[in-house]
Amino acid sequence: MKNIFVIAKNTFRETIRDRILYGILGFSLIYVAITVLLAKISLNDPVVLKSFGLAGIYIFGSIITIFLGVSIIYKELERRTLYFVLSKPVSRLDVVVGKFLGLFTAIILTTLVMTVVYLGVIFYETGVLDALGLLAVFYQILEMGLFVALLVFFSTISTPLTSTIAAVMLIFGGHSFGAVLRTAAQVGGIFYRFIQAVYYVFPNLEKFDIRISAVHGIAPSGASVLLTIIYAILYSAVLLGLANFFLKRKEL
Amino acid sequence: MIEIKHIKKFYGARTIVDDLSLTVKNGSVFGFLGQNGAGKTTTMKMMVGLASPDEGSITIGGKPSSDLSARESVGFMPEAPYFYDRLTGLEFLEFCGELFQKHKSGREYLGILKELGIYDARDRAINTYSKGMKQRLGFAQVLVNDPDYIFLDEPLDGLDPLGRREIKKIILELKARKKTIFFNSHILYDTEEICDEIGLIHEGKLLYSGSVKEFCKGRSLEERFVETVERERNTTTEESVVPAKAEIHAPKS
Repeated sequence: MKNIFVIAKNTFRETIRDRILYGILGFSLIYVAITVLLAKISLNDPVVLKSFGLAGIYIFGSIITIFLGVSIIYKELERRTLYFVLSKPVSRLDVVVGKFLGLFTAIILTTLVMTVVYLGVIFYETGVLDALGLLAVFYQILEMGLFVALLVFFSTISTPLTSTIAAVMLIFGGHSFGAVLRTAAQVGGIFYRFIQAVYYVFPNLEKFDIRISAVHGIAPSGASVLLTIIYAILYSAVLLGLANFFLKRKEL
Repeated sequence: MIEIKHIKKFYGARTIVDDLSLTVKNGSVFGFLGQNGAGKTTTMKMMVGLASPDEGSITIGGKPSSDLSARESVGFMPEAPYFYDRLTGLEFLEFCGELFQKHKSGREYLGILKELGIYDARDRAINTYSKGMKQRLGFAQVLVNDPDYIFLDEPLDGLDPLGRREIKKIILELKARKKTIFFNSHILYDTEEICDEIGLIHEGKLLYSGSVKEFCKGRSLEERFVETVERERNTTTEESVVPAKAEIHAPKS
């Protein structure tokens, strides 16, 4: 357990020193700040302000996650930095979980920086704290956790380019499988069963998107929050288990 | 003691290490010699748990090399090491040290950096280090757990003459502290100076294992190495030619 935290700390330290992170974070902060201008255009409608703000945090959060996570294990295998780690009393599971926790912590930190700016902008414009917006960001953090686990898994089996393509496709697919399933239900037959299988196997990212309801002031139920947390933890655990399975079989 | 018993390693159809057995006594310096691609690094990777043998067994201090607890007393320096470039030298050393149950204090890490001559660069990012400094840092991380068994893959590679002399001095100091040192090298001149015993590997097969003096028989290590490898190469060529001739004559008879 101790080694997991040592690896997580090292990964976090490496990640927050990555210049790419600051580049994207800089852009995101500018974006969140200029949502004020968009609000002015829409006659200070808070829905517009919140929608653009939360969407910005999500988009930039996803970009940061993909950039930092896509080669997290792959580059260690390629550059052989893992030789230093795995020749010590460290298991491959320690590496997988440590890398996951380190990167996830860095992602949480950058998301919180964006959130603080967002909440500041909303408070400045409306005079109230956007608590539901905060909950939407919490859901996004859960999604990013699952996504980091997915990227850790991908980086044990494929190159960064392939992983990036797969990750972008999964973000897109993960947010649309629900709608596709509803359409497929009307068609029925084998096609519906196929879409159903895809829907259950691939991550259902729609579960984590409460942005629209949050900007309209609709809160999810306690049970829904709990189920979403459980879903994120279980799915991430399965992905990390698979990453460990493949990393164990890698010849260094 | 390090004991290797009949290990074999295959990459696809290729045999990388072929039925290799050897023993390294505690407190000795063992040089594992061979040409590039002879199987030295693969053997070492199996010894430190980075790869596992397809057949045979390796024990270090009586424990299987695959056992995580065996690595508590092991230090390993890979060939041409790559580092976490955004860390400083001191941070990297602390990171390596913290991965062991028993690790050193901050002051002791600084002591290691001083010993290796990179103390002044301790707070600099590793990506600003020269090749020689990186090699020294790679050696420094070997010492973070005060290991009993030290594995060095081409430790003198990339170092200037002064750097080589310093590393050799440290190896001899470690030997004086009864550490068991196993290192791969193709720089034979240096090996001759610091080794008690050597192993000679060629195309995955161990050709010789024993004392340096016995192997050299009054000649230089390099001379004897070249002679032994060439003799083995000629034997292998002759063996592969004989069946070919037989095949040519077979249809006539």
